[in-house]
Amino acid sequence: MNSYAERLEISRLIHRFGMGPKPGEFAQLVQSGVSNARTNILTPSATDAGLAKVAEPDLRDLGPRPQPNTPQVIPFANSMRKQNSDLLLWWLDRMVLADNALTERMTWFWHGHWATSIGKVEYALPMKIQNATLRNFALGNFADMSRAMVQDGALQYWLDGNQNQKGAPNENLARELMELFTLGVNHYTEDDIKNLAKALTGYSVTRSSGKITFDTKKHDATPISFLGKTASFDAISASDYLVSRDDCAAYITSRLWFRFISSLLPNSDQNIISAFAGRDILKAVTALASHPAMSDPLNSQVKSPIDWFVSVCRALQIVPSQVKVYGQIANYLDKLGQVPFIPPNVGGWPYDEAWLNVSSAQYRLAFAGYLVSIGNLSPLKNSTVEPAQFLADWLGVARWSSRTKTAFASAQGDPARLTLLAISAPEYLVNG
Amino acid sequence: MLKITRRKFLQFSGAAVIGSMAPALSIDEIAQAAVNNPLPTGTPVVVVVTLYGGNDGLNTVIPYKDSNYFSSRPGISLKATEVLDLGQDLGLNGSMTGFKSLWDQKKLAIVRGVGYPQPDRSHFSSMAIWQSASPRSHLTSGWIGRWLDGQNHDPMRAIGLGSVLPPLLAGVRQVGSVLPLGGLVIPSGSLLADCKRLSNTSNLDSPLQAIAAQSMKDMFSLSKTVTPVLKKPAPVPDDLPTGVGGNFGADTSLSQQLDVVAKLIAAGAPTRVWAVSLGGFDTHADEVKAQSSLLGTVSNSITRFLSQMHATNRANDVTVMVYSEFGRRVKANASQGTDHGTSGPMFIAGNSVNGGFYGDQPSLNNLSNGDLAVTTDFRDVYGSVLEDLLKTPVGQVIDGWSTKSPIFKSA
Repeated sequence: MNSYAERLEISRLIHRFGMGPKPGEFAQLVQSGVSNARTNILTPSATDAGLAKVAEPDLRDLGPRPQPNTPQVIPFANSMRKQNSDLLLWWLDRMVLADNALTERMTWFWHGHWATSIGKVEYALPMKIQNATLRNFALGNFADMSRAMVQDGALQYWLDGNQNQKGAPNENLARELMELFTLGVNHYTEDDIKNLAKALTGYSVTRSSGKITFDTKKHDATPISFLGKTASFDAISASDYLVSRDDCAAYITSRLWFRFISSLLPNSDQNIISAFAGRDILKAVTALASHPAMSDPLNSQVKSPIDWFVSVCRALQIVPSQVKVYGQIANYLDKLGQVPFIPPNVGGWPYDEAWLNVSSAQYRLAFAGYLVSIGNLSPLKNSTVEPAQFLADWLGVARWSSRTKTAFASAQGDPARLTLLAISAPEYLVNG
Repeated sequence: MLKITRRKFLQFSGAAVIGSMAPALSIDEIAQAAVNNPLPTGTPVVVVVTLYGGNDGLNTVIPYKDSNYFSSRPGISLKATEVLDLGQDLGLNGSMTGFKSLWDQKKLAIVRGVGYPQPDRSHFSSMAIWQSASPRSHLTSGWIGRWLDGQNHDPMRAIGLGSVLPPLLAGVRQVGSVLPLGGLVIPSGSLLADCKRLSNTSNLDSPLQAIAAQSMKDMFSLSKTVTPVLKKPAPVPDDLPTGVGGNFGADTSLSQQLDVVAKLIAAGAPTRVWAVSLGGFDTHADEVKAQSSLLGTVSNSITRFLSQMHATNRANDVTVMVYSEFGRRVKANASQGTDHGTSGPMFIAGNSVNGGFYGDQPSLNNLSNGDLAVTTDFRDVYGSVLEDLLKTPVGQVIDGWSTKSPIFKSA
């Protein structure tokens, strides 16, 4: 029978590279062994029956905002609110219902990487288009992703690219493109930023649709000196040049390591960087999932509010869009500080200890009570296995401490209390 | 980016890692300590206000008689009629009427051209530099945190409002605490008993799991006997009109944070340093209205807070310090905004302050690569706070630093 070490590694694989197990899934993965579990988790199928159940939201172009104090304002605002809510629930449904959640996991990672907020973009449609781009390249080639993103309407608008004009550059996008998206801080000079801003001129975005157009007259094509090369650059060639640099491989793999393995100890393994030599994201992800660090007990990670919420929904078979009380889920996620499409800033969301404090403990407990009240507890009710063991397998937890088992014992025979305790326990909030 | 907020800003700096062990306090715990162990009156208290996003100093303290100012930023310059004259050809942003009254009472110090050598224009790096007080080497501890390292352990000594510990409060051996805004709703009945069991630490816990358990335990360490302290209304400003709404337009978040601080100071909390913040200063586009509104919030809520202190016996003890990670470019961009720049003004307010200007106003005729010169190192201001208010030699906290500005009367 499998060891604690095997259960730990599989628990990490399913929670970090997937979005947590569906009922029965963890026990099966454990049965199959670490190697098969890894292959299974890293191999999305072409057709995913779970995802097939999620309908695309109807996001038509709402056009420009009507003039203030006109009768059109209220229906416009209502449509905008409805679209934003539909977009959020659509993505949460995908995370929850996907049979293999690797692609959604990676889309979520990239959303935090190219962190763009609907708070400024306002319209759902451009955010949906960006989300599709991130999903399309989630496990593909980073050079393709970067090319697509520098031409993404939502990102361009978010970082004022819309206003970056020949003769009067706005440096916001240029700086973040290097600092946060491709190279990491201090791998360029201030002059590089000023020059890259010039190379990125010429785009304009239609806000409501995210449609992007390029006007050669607005583009500054004068040759620039950029990271040691003098040439006439545009957004595409600049993106290609940035992605081709060694600093890019080191930086992107360090971000992947940070989110999938450990925020505490940086990657020191050149093999991870080498796996990304061709900028193939799947290869880098596979190298991480196969790395010995995955079984090192030191590398535990706190589930972010979305990680926690989605994994609870998957186990308790809660479909976010089907929840009766409108806005309830978004409200709780907001209290916990993490709502998809609303990252706190262009640096994305925090990690680990930042999610563990008194205020989050309070809201998480209230949220847990709500989720248990609407969740499907029949797997536990119908189980003949000893409750602590069943809860560990159901939720994908490697093992419970005696502390938590003591708490379970006090709730014996009460499935709702048992479930609430299990999803609130430190062993569930913190992945191994 | 639209909003750089306190909230999770800091994670990228790396400094947040050590913030990890920060205990989170309930208001009630602090109130309990205030009752049991009140801070003696006459002990200086510092309130650090962080403005996230990079405040445009040139549109805050404005050289409104300098033609270079108008020619550099024609679309976003403020006219003489839109500023509050401070003398020396400078004026405050017209929204900062509260600060102007503090200035007239000689309770406001304005330190001009504050920054550090070789300015970094990344939000993340520059904020890390300000919070660690270490421009050259990358320190993960914060300056107040290192001050805490030299004190006896007391989780109440330095407190940040909000859900995430700001790195400035994280020391090497000790960390400040975080205090979430708003009251906590604690489970009751069998759920309370269950959750108390879950909040025990176990020897099987990883360090992060132990923190998860501890954070739950902190939630329960609530004493009903002291809640009345916090149910009391905040101290009433004794010298301000109480208009409709009572807060004359201050942003709820910053004024709420300061309201909690005011209540707890009034109750005698044994806290020497408080950290509050406001985000949204990253004005790359359409700057004038947005920044004026934010500066109005800063000015009004701090002025109101200091007036609240007049209703207590702490008015002479409390000092407020305001800073941002960098100023902005002199020239406007084409979006009626400004990009990331270098130096900017700092504000220090309170009865302890020798009101007036400190440091030279960076000249618009002598720009360095299009940016303002740095005329005062921020570590000189920290030096004054450390030595004159926190009674600690600056060199103990900032390695190799020995100078300070004569901002305080006690200096």
